[in-house]
Amino acid sequence: MNVLKVSRFTIVAFILPCTLIYFGIVFVPILVSLYSGLLEWNGIGQSSFVGLENFRNLFFQDPVFWPSVRRTLMFAVFSMAEIPLALMVAIFLRRYIRKPNFLVSSYFMPVILSVVIIGQLWKTIYNPAAMGGMLNQILETVGLESWTRSWLTEPKVAMFALYFVALWQYLGYHTLIQFTGISNIPAEIYEAARIDGAEGFKADRYITFPMIIPIFKISIVLAFIGSLQAFDMVMVMTGGGPAHATDVISTHMYNMSFLSMKYGYGSSIAAVLVVVCLIATVIINFIFNKLEKRFS
Amino acid sequence: MVKTSKLLSLVLATTLLLSLAACGGNAKTKENTGSANSGSTNATEKPAEKVEDKKVTITFQNIYPDPTDPKNQIMKKLVDQYHTDHPNITIELDSLNTDQQKLKLKTQAASKEVPDITIVNPAAQMKPFVDAKLFAPLNDMLDQNGLKATFQEGLLDFYSFDGNTYALPDGNNIAVVYYNKELFEQAGVKVPTTYEEMLEVVKTLKSKGITPISIGEKDSWTGSFLFMNMLLRTNGGPGFLQDVVDKKKTFEDPAFTEAVDAFQSLVAAGAFQEGATSFDYNAGENLFKTGKSAMYFMGTWATGGIETSSVNGKVGVFKFPTINGKGDPNEFMLAPGSAFAISADSEHLQETKDFLNYFMLNFPKEAFEAKGAVGVGQIVDGDFAAAGYSDMAMEVLGLFKEVKGGDLAFDNTMNPGTAQIHLNSIQNLFVQKIDSAEVGKEHQAAYEDNNK
Repeated sequence: MNVLKVSRFTIVAFILPCTLIYFGIVFVPILVSLYSGLLEWNGIGQSSFVGLENFRNLFFQDPVFWPSVRRTLMFAVFSMAEIPLALMVAIFLRRYIRKPNFLVSSYFMPVILSVVIIGQLWKTIYNPAAMGGMLNQILETVGLESWTRSWLTEPKVAMFALYFVALWQYLGYHTLIQFTGISNIPAEIYEAARIDGAEGFKADRYITFPMIIPIFKISIVLAFIGSLQAFDMVMVMTGGGPAHATDVISTHMYNMSFLSMKYGYGSSIAAVLVVVCLIATVIINFIFNKLEKRFS
Repeated sequence: MVKTSKLLSLVLATTLLLSLAACGGNAKTKENTGSANSGSTNATEKPAEKVEDKKVTITFQNIYPDPTDPKNQIMKKLVDQYHTDHPNITIELDSLNTDQQKLKLKTQAASKEVPDITIVNPAAQMKPFVDAKLFAPLNDMLDQNGLKATFQEGLLDFYSFDGNTYALPDGNNIAVVYYNKELFEQAGVKVPTTYEEMLEVVKTLKSKGITPISIGEKDSWTGSFLFMNMLLRTNGGPGFLQDVVDKKKTFEDPAFTEAVDAFQSLVAAGAFQEGATSFDYNAGENLFKTGKSAMYFMGTWATGGIETSSVNGKVGVFKFPTINGKGDPNEFMLAPGSAFAISADSEHLQETKDFLNYFMLNFPKEAFEAKGAVGVGQIVDGDFAAAGYSDMAMEVLGLFKEVKGGDLAFDNTMNPGTAQIHLNSIQNLFVQKIDSAEVGKEHQAAYEDNNK
């Protein structure tokens, strides 16, 4: 520290405000929420302390919780599986398009649209043909009547219809991140590689992939956490229905806290969500640290 | 570089100044409210002088955000009038749509910051708030200026607990079936008087390519409302849920399973529009209002909206028919409206009560003039036909006179935990066939689980 020639007091003085704010708006609410997870409380009146009762019910009795966890994890798997695709799009854009910026911005468009607009848009696309649903009308015109469904209301397909919208929305986002990552790889490396005879896929294999790993990791973490928190889109499009068929952890939490007025129980779901997020982040970091070591 | 840093410091300095100013401002308002408080204690001793110069702000949270809604216009008119009469009082409107308001109130209630006037739903839905002592009893205020006598008899019971009335309703509605006369004629069907006839009507309409009934089942209370009307019939009268609460019946009772079966037969006949569970309340209602569906089951509060839509003039109403010969068509689903409550911790309790008293006294008269008096919970003086109310409105008003009692909606009777499971269970009936005994069992388990 002495190297910096700054007194400890100054360091503390400068770090303190941020630390305080960070603790105040991140850690304290998490702790409060953990505590309310131990209460039986409707959010308004008196609360009573019930210990781990909420968690016991959640893990062993709630018929909605585990399926919603499964759907959330599926959501995460799909979003992460999308990222290699985004990377591929980014590589192609870099290599074959002379002025790719316009395309990248266009792909990015859905991200800046409000989720409510996207939800309404896709609801109309998924509607039954009689209500002007585009997807079903297209299927009918090409002679695939048997494929038509009411996409958002059949319990078995509704969730996949939602996954697809999320993938559609965030493809551009991850493409942009990967694209920026690729653009930051110095051109000299590729030139040197070309002299050594590595072009096209070979150059990707030995240069782009290893050098993009940190960026790739950012995308994966963002996709994972984003899908764990998926809430707004589900709320707008199906509201978790029909009959819980599209409930994810966060909508279940919302329903419990605010509609069933079991605030304590809702908080215990939130606590589980936080823990899952933390564990997942640690695992992802661990895997990528290994990967980075192997390639560098 | 020098220039930039100068600019930067200027910006920073301004921000600092602004934030200081903001702090100062806050402190001042606090002082003001403080003196206002002490003012009110003084006011009891020397009322006349103090009241006049005291500046009072009342927050009025409401669910009339839509400027084309007659209720919004009535509210603004009355508030403006009150401002003119009482220059020292400012009424701040916090207009939200229903769902936002529910959520906001719950959040505010959790931190005990309920606005001076807010909106709650009757019976079981407002009970948690009353239990938490968040609302002020309004008995004294109801006696002022004879306000109590303006309400329909028995209506205030839905808002009273242990002899205290905590909220004043803006309406009192019943559930009816609206039908499109033109589409009925096209399909050659008549208004059904039994449930079996209704199923036939549904099938005929369907075969003619007309959506028989539209519903906004994404908001799951809509389906539950219809289902509860069926239960009201199969139970041979009102009070099924009360019997469950009193442990005289369970949800596995034949009356309940019969209602589930009846409901499923309606779904199986293709009565509802495709994808009904993804339509929210407004989208469902719009299908009827644009003439795309032949029937619409809803509370009479929908009358005003239908009158201003393109199907106006073609719409009639009928009572929900008997099922297997059971039930009385003159028993309706009753929907005592959302109601105004006053925060128990209001800083200006007396002023708020005075304002609400004024508001409720003038509400029926203004509503009548704004053609919004169908389903108002207070006694309205005036000749509806002469005032130009539509035939449909007159028909609805006619039905009101025939009401011989009925039931409240499920979520007004049962606690929220049970209600949510019920709502989801009924929504499920729209998308898959389930054994009615299973549905009964699920309900009973949910009820026992939530009433330990």
